[in-house]
Amino acid sequence: MTKSKSGIELEGRVVECLRSATFTVELENGHQVLAHLSGKMRKNFIKIVLEDRVLVELTPYDLTRGRIVFRYRN
Amino acid sequence: MNTQPAPPGLDGLAVTRVADRHWHALDDDLVVGRGYAEHRPDGRLFVSIDAWHDATFDRLAEAMLADLPAPLYTVVDEADTDLTACWLRAGFTIRRREREYTVPTDPQITGLRDVAPPPGVTIVPADHADKDLLRAVDRAIRDEVEATAGWQSMPAEVIHHPGGFSHCTVAAAPDRYLGLLRVAAAHRPRIGLIAVRAGEQRRGIARALLAHTLKTLHRSGHDTAWAEVHDSNHAAAALFERIGARPAGGNLELVR
Repeated sequence: MTKSKSGIELEGRVVECLRSATFTVELENGHQVLAHLSGKMRKNFIKIVLEDRVLVELTPYDLTRGRIVFRYRN
Repeated sequence: MNTQPAPPGLDGLAVTRVADRHWHALDDDLVVGRGYAEHRPDGRLFVSIDAWHDATFDRLAEAMLADLPAPLYTVVDEADTDLTACWLRAGFTIRRREREYTVPTDPQITGLRDVAPPPGVTIVPADHADKDLLRAVDRAIRDEVEATAGWQSMPAEVIHHPGGFSHCTVAAAPDRYLGLLRVAAAHRPRIGLIAVRAGEQRRGIARALLAHTLKTLHRSGHDTAWAEVHDSNHAAAALFERIGARPAGGNLELVR
């Protein structure tokens, strides 16, 4: 886990692809968060599918929501 | 994006340009939003904004639009109505719509097992193509597109990338190449371009290129590839749907 000025970043695994371009990500600590794709990833046509390992930045306002900022090579 | 109205206490929001193409929205000492701009290979400038609240998005957009020259482009998932609304509020309009397809590679599913190229045409595997002939057909197709639809109405990704020929499968006549298919991103194969010379279309060349490429991907362990089709390109959509490709969302390109 890393903590920066921008908030908390955690690794996780995509367990569900939802409507409205959002994903359920199960974090390493077992918690599940609702995450959407970062603009940079969308701009670069990076696709997210089930079971992808991703890095999620949690919003400082609601720790059950976040955005996917990186997709790891499985 | 799923932004929400700004919570109380966001009045102290400040937007800072932290690099040439990078902006931060700061709430006290906390980064609560980011904006980025980058040029595509075709020279167009694309922007993106990540923000947790509408108010933050609007402030970042205001700052970026004031700093950057028009026209500016962005891409959103068409299912992301919140983010689309944010860009529309910032003055962007929808310029193009692309459907995404998940394309099976298994010949049992695609029905492409026995597809052969038309007489006089051979399929040359990626990495075996003659670079000079490939450049020639690439140039010819670009000129044909430029003379008709124009590249500005085509996806940026089909613009030539340095070294981008390495993943091209081509359809060849004895003296020249007639068409090509480029696959990008080995991690999750993406069919970036299928193109056939204007005078050679409707002969089954694109289908033969697709058959060869998908079979190759299947043999290398990929169950699916993905592709994008312009909403108005009914021929391409039909080509993919006939081989079992499934719609998997879509993208909107917006411009201001």
